Amino acid sequence: MARLRDQLVNFIASLRDAGVRISVAESIDAMNAVAAVGLERELMLEALAAALIKDEADRAAFDEVFDRFFAAPRTNRGEHPDQRGEQVSAAAGRGRPGENPISLSRDDAPLRKPEQPRDGAQSNDRDEKSSPSDAKPSKKTKTAHRDDAESKDAERKSEETRGREQQEGAHSREESGSPGIDAARVARLRAIERRPFDNFSRLEYDEARDALAPLIRRFRIRLGRRLRLAKTGRIDFRRTIRAAMQRGGAMIDLNFRARRPRHVDLVILADISGSVRYAAQLMLELMAGARGYFRRVSSFVYVDHLAEADFEQGHLVMTPALDLYARSDFGRVLGELWQRRTGLLTRSTIVVIMGDARNNRLPARADVIREIARTCRAVVWLNPEDPARWGTGDSAIKQYVREVKLLVPSRNLRELQAALTAIA
Amino acid sequence: MQITHEQISDGLKRARYVTNERVETAIFLALALEKPLLIEGPAGAGKTEVAKVLAEILYTELIRLQCYEGLDEARALYEWNYQKQLLRMQADEQQGLRWEELSEHIFSRDFLLERPLLKAITSPSRVVLLIDEVDKADEEFEAFLLELLSDFQVSVPELGTLKARERPAVILTSNRARELSEALRRRCLHLFIDFPGTEQERKIIELKVPELDAKLAAEAARFVGAIRKLGLRKPPSIAETLDWARALVQLGVRELDTDAVRTALGVLLKHEDDRAKVESKASTLAPRRKSAT
Repeated sequence: MARLRDQLVNFIASLRDAGVRISVAESIDAMNAVAAVGLERELMLEALAAALIKDEADRAAFDEVFDRFFAAPRTNRGEHPDQRGEQVSAAAGRGRPGENPISLSRDDAPLRKPEQPRDGAQSNDRDEKSSPSDAKPSKKTKTAHRDDAESKDAERKSEETRGREQQEGAHSREESGSPGIDAARVARLRAIERRPFDNFSRLEYDEARDALAPLIRRFRIRLGRRLRLAKTGRIDFRRTIRAAMQRGGAMIDLNFRARRPRHVDLVILADISGSVRYAAQLMLELMAGARGYFRRVSSFVYVDHLAEADFEQGHLVMTPALDLYARSDFGRVLGELWQRRTGLLTRSTIVVIMGDARNNRLPARADVIREIARTCRAVVWLNPEDPARWGTGDSAIKQYVREVKLLVPSRNLRELQAALTAIA
Repeated sequence: MQITHEQISDGLKRARYVTNERVETAIFLALALEKPLLIEGPAGAGKTEVAKVLAEILYTELIRLQCYEGLDEARALYEWNYQKQLLRMQADEQQGLRWEELSEHIFSRDFLLERPLLKAITSPSRVVLLIDEVDKADEEFEAFLLELLSDFQVSVPELGTLKARERPAVILTSNRARELSEALRRRCLHLFIDFPGTEQERKIIELKVPELDAKLAAEAARFVGAIRKLGLRKPPSIAETLDWARALVQLGVRELDTDAVRTALGVLLKHEDDRAKVESKASTLAPRRKSAT
């Protein structure tokens, strides 16, 4: 049995190599799972998947590695001896898979038969890994194969039920693999959340906007919760005593003070030039969705000038229109903001700046930021650029970082949302 | 009670839950290894149903905790019954009890309002605990679940640590509104339930809506499978497919032609733009053209 354990350890190591994160506790679970279900191939496959694969996106990699380690029994003996001979027949579960060397090399993959194309985008993924002969073994050959092998104690079930189950198993695998609609959709959304803004295409921007909708909802709920009447916290004595008067002075019902809504004015400055354009638009849209939870939100976009921004039916509207291909000049933009400060920048204002601070070597005017920071509650900078590139080339971020309260990287949707939640 | 794989698969059949090897194995393992099972998948794919069916198989009670944003310990675990404590104190006032005696009284189990999680832990027999839509709860709540899920114990400051007498079978479901933490995933077994394939959906329709003609059921399953692939805002769930099948029965539809598809589409699709999208393609999607009668 020790050999099987070694083999499972190797299997888990290969999965880790394939980029699946597996903890020690999970590998112990996997061992226990195999011990619980036995060595029948389909059962073992699902048991290992349940214990090791915690994200459906990893499933394809898992299937591939599993097929590499625990090959299905030969459907026709004598066929592809070179291909199958080395591999372990775990489906029949002979219990001594360690006798054969396990081929860990990746180069046995090309030896596989070319798979038949089937419909369904997701199914291709899976089918690539299991050639059709694997997926649909005929009952007859299975039984024949089993007959010549000696029975071990692992075999407790009767032949008939086993044959039926294997058939069903193969069938269900095919079945469950074919739709995968939601899995594909969610995998896409997850991918787009992690994709860095700087290589977004127009299409990806549209996808990101789909992913934005649930983020906006969550953001709103998070902000809104603050304003709801509190269930705990400071007791409101006046209301509690008044309620107690109805009950002869016993304070049966406690009333709590509602939390005060925060008086926060937001001023958002977003760079919509070049590579950071998508990041800025997504941020503006996210903030527009949560507008009601702040006292006032003023959004601006800039390239070389400042323009007021608004979202109308998912489209960015700016007044006046900006030349998107002009040379960015953040120093001038800061100057313009400073001129408009009356009524805009107060003690309760948080200024959120989104940009890469690439200023074309024009004056950075970090002194204006200092003045703004002195006037306002806070200045927060979100930088969609990779932190490794901050301060290189014409980036003036190192000059600004001294003046702002917080500088957060927001390279993708996920980081952006985390950053905004921290501010709000 | 030791449970076998066959018992699970028979139980699922008896409970009329159409499923596959993957689901059976995952449920079996959750029971065999006494680990929580995290089920993910789209809305309406039958995640919650697994817990209900499991309770049926085990002949036990299902305790359900519906998660939502802002769910806190007081709602999920326990709360002191303040009003009852107050009454007790007033009643004891005349007897002149000392404070020690009094506090022993009012912080006993009698004054504890058990919320689902505590109820599942303290139950004398094995129950099924369903933590539904755990992705809707906050991250803090998720962290709080960790102690419960790994050791099956909770700490109540006034009473000490309460350990489960019988480990409940725990099912967590998630729609993936947000990604769950690694720590939580690590403690659970994982199962992904996607929409069923055409064949499986046909079986479900036949099982749940036996009034529908078998041929029509197959066509309906194929049609629903096809429109799920259109990339709709909200693809129809199994429950909606069944409602639609029932609607077809009520409408007396004999053949699934373009008109029949159009009349009852509102049962299947809940967004106007989805509806427009499908309607524009109804003629190609419907299994039959409008009969030329």
